[in-house]
Amino acid sequence: MNKTRLAALAAVVVAAPLGLAACGGDDDGAVTLRYAFWDDNQRPALEAMIEAFNEEHPDTTVELEQNPWDDYWPGLDTQFAGESAPDVFWNHVSRFPTYADSGVLLPITDRIEEDGLDTSIYPEDLYNSWQFEEEQYGLPKDWDSIALVYRTDMLEAAGIDPATVDDLEWNPADGGTFVEFLQKLTIDANGNNALSPDFDPENVEQYGLAQASATGQTDWWNFAVQNGCELQSEPWGEYTIDAPECVEALQFTADLYNEWGVSVPAEVTNQPNGGEAAEQMVAGNAATVMDGSWMLGFYRDGLEPGTWAVADNPAGPAGSGSVINGLSNAIYAGTDHPDEAWELVKFLGSEDAQRIAAETGSVWPGVSSLNDAFAEYWSGQGVDVSGFQTAAEGTTVGYPLSMSDAAFGTAALDEFNQVWLGQQDARAAAEAVVEIANAQ
Amino acid sequence: MLAPSIIGFALFLITPIVVVVALSFYEWNFLSAPEFVGLDNYRELAGDERAMQSIGNTFYYVLLNIPIQTVLALLLALGVNSKIKARNAFRVIYVLPWMAMPVALGVIWRWVFDPMNGALNRFLEALGVDGVAWLTDSTWAMPVIASVNVWQYTGYTMLFFLAGLQAIPAQLYEAANVDGASKPYQFFQITLPLLRPAMLFVLITSVIGSFQVFDTIHVMTAGGPDGATSTLNYQIYLESFTQRSAGYASMLAVILFAIIALITLAQVVFFRKRTVYDFS
Repeated sequence: MNKTRLAALAAVVVAAPLGLAACGGDDDGAVTLRYAFWDDNQRPALEAMIEAFNEEHPDTTVELEQNPWDDYWPGLDTQFAGESAPDVFWNHVSRFPTYADSGVLLPITDRIEEDGLDTSIYPEDLYNSWQFEEEQYGLPKDWDSIALVYRTDMLEAAGIDPATVDDLEWNPADGGTFVEFLQKLTIDANGNNALSPDFDPENVEQYGLAQASATGQTDWWNFAVQNGCELQSEPWGEYTIDAPECVEALQFTADLYNEWGVSVPAEVTNQPNGGEAAEQMVAGNAATVMDGSWMLGFYRDGLEPGTWAVADNPAGPAGSGSVINGLSNAIYAGTDHPDEAWELVKFLGSEDAQRIAAETGSVWPGVSSLNDAFAEYWSGQGVDVSGFQTAAEGTTVGYPLSMSDAAFGTAALDEFNQVWLGQQDARAAAEAVVEIANAQ
Repeated sequence: MLAPSIIGFALFLITPIVVVVALSFYEWNFLSAPEFVGLDNYRELAGDERAMQSIGNTFYYVLLNIPIQTVLALLLALGVNSKIKARNAFRVIYVLPWMAMPVALGVIWRWVFDPMNGALNRFLEALGVDGVAWLTDSTWAMPVIASVNVWQYTGYTMLFFLAGLQAIPAQLYEAANVDGASKPYQFFQITLPLLRPAMLFVLITSVIGSFQVFDTIHVMTAGGPDGATSTLNYQIYLESFTQRSAGYASMLAVILFAIIALITLAQVVFFRKRTVYDFS
């Protein structure tokens, strides 16, 4: 059997169940575009943007297709294979290299030029992160960073002045003021905190911190970046998480669970099937979470106004940054309607569209001038979100770019889950992950 | 009359099998054209610790699952086949878990086994026993998964034994009673041998089913901790849909198919002797 025929046949087998419902015909110039995304919290903002898009493009109907993160990517892969992928979709830096390399993304460099698009409205790094071999493959949709989200009511009960939270420091040797802060917020059934000699670690009612991340982005990557670990030798390069500063950060993360006992146990929060960190905080099991800006809406909807706030990340030996990242809107190379899809992507990348997302507090906009609109929405909710901007300006590292992201992600989750459980050595785990990820 | 079913059979069974076998000789990431690699995928298998572990896990799961489920189902069938009150109600209750959605059940069981707030550990705590982290402890995770599936499928398995029991002519027991045979003697000399066809059917279908376990694992542990609950079928999913190694995953699927085929063949050979009884 020759290759293309096998591919076509395999594609039909793989995608038949997904693709059958996806056939849309277009009469009289009306076009239906499919737009895929994963974060259902952002649906209202997307719907509002599409409504605004339709004012100028009444003949283009946009259908939203939402799948949660874990199902989103296998779904897209099989739809690419079956040539039935959505016309426009959210793209993530972790998947971008493989997609760009395999030709499923539509290059938009020429279109940007023809339409005279002003791309200086986006931060340069953010815009450039969607380039591959001299071609642009998407327009920035948003950016995100990590900051320390905390429960003001729990700090008050522990007698901690919220003004001190921005200046916490940690170090791998004795934990620093950050660990002391978390110890004060870790309370047992008798009301003793973790600094008290009477503290009962077997009966903890409230932990200082909850950590849970399927990628590392909201748990150990924070400490890695703050300890000078860059995760990769360079964008597209090898993973370097077995470097001493990285292993130290991994060990510190593990210590928060096992040595200091201030983090909700890994038995509860290990991903992908454990509880989410934000859920632990909303449920009252944890006082703080180092979480992504995209989660703000979850805290707003889950907690009473005035009972939570955002602070700067703690500073490690190398600074207080985090990994920064962004999403783009991308076009499927096999779309039947490239012109209409480009119009949609162009609109979604415009100031008009992103103002809608910013003003509803959905996500930090890709258009720099709108950051204030986002911050204003949240200050109207009584939350100062400047911690995310501080994190983005600090010693940051971009989301790792690699063709072997999938191998890295799986190996890291397998190995580090065991480290958090106290059943595996941090250095051995890091070496095992690097060996698998760099072998590809 | 047969044509429509043959079309379905060819389209949805034969074609995918042929494609999977062919793909097992290729490297394919869903996105680019498949690349022929000959037997490379098969050669890689022996050195792939995670895949070998998953084969071991699969047999471990089947051994945890099948004996308990089969014995329990048989006992339940004997129970609801006797003249107890409300036996129809019992029959329905035992079959209910099988009728429910496995994914929904998996989510509920995950709550039950939650280490901090789960019902099981709360209950143990009330008894003064320390619970464990059932689903993140590599010793406990697989037995927990197996017990959930035993709970779910025992009632369904019971139905086949029940049908088998009711097909045994009552006069055999009457004759045995006249001869003064004890109840256990009757069970081993009459019931069990005559259940042979039912047993063959139950074992073949439930062994195949348990080699293919997926949903409970996906919802409760996602193969973790550290691969301890990743069965071969789950490994196929991980390789294809998280690693994009569709060719390698196809090779694993061929291996799983071969294992199931061999074991089923062995069962048929083992049970073939003396299966037919004629009471007419």
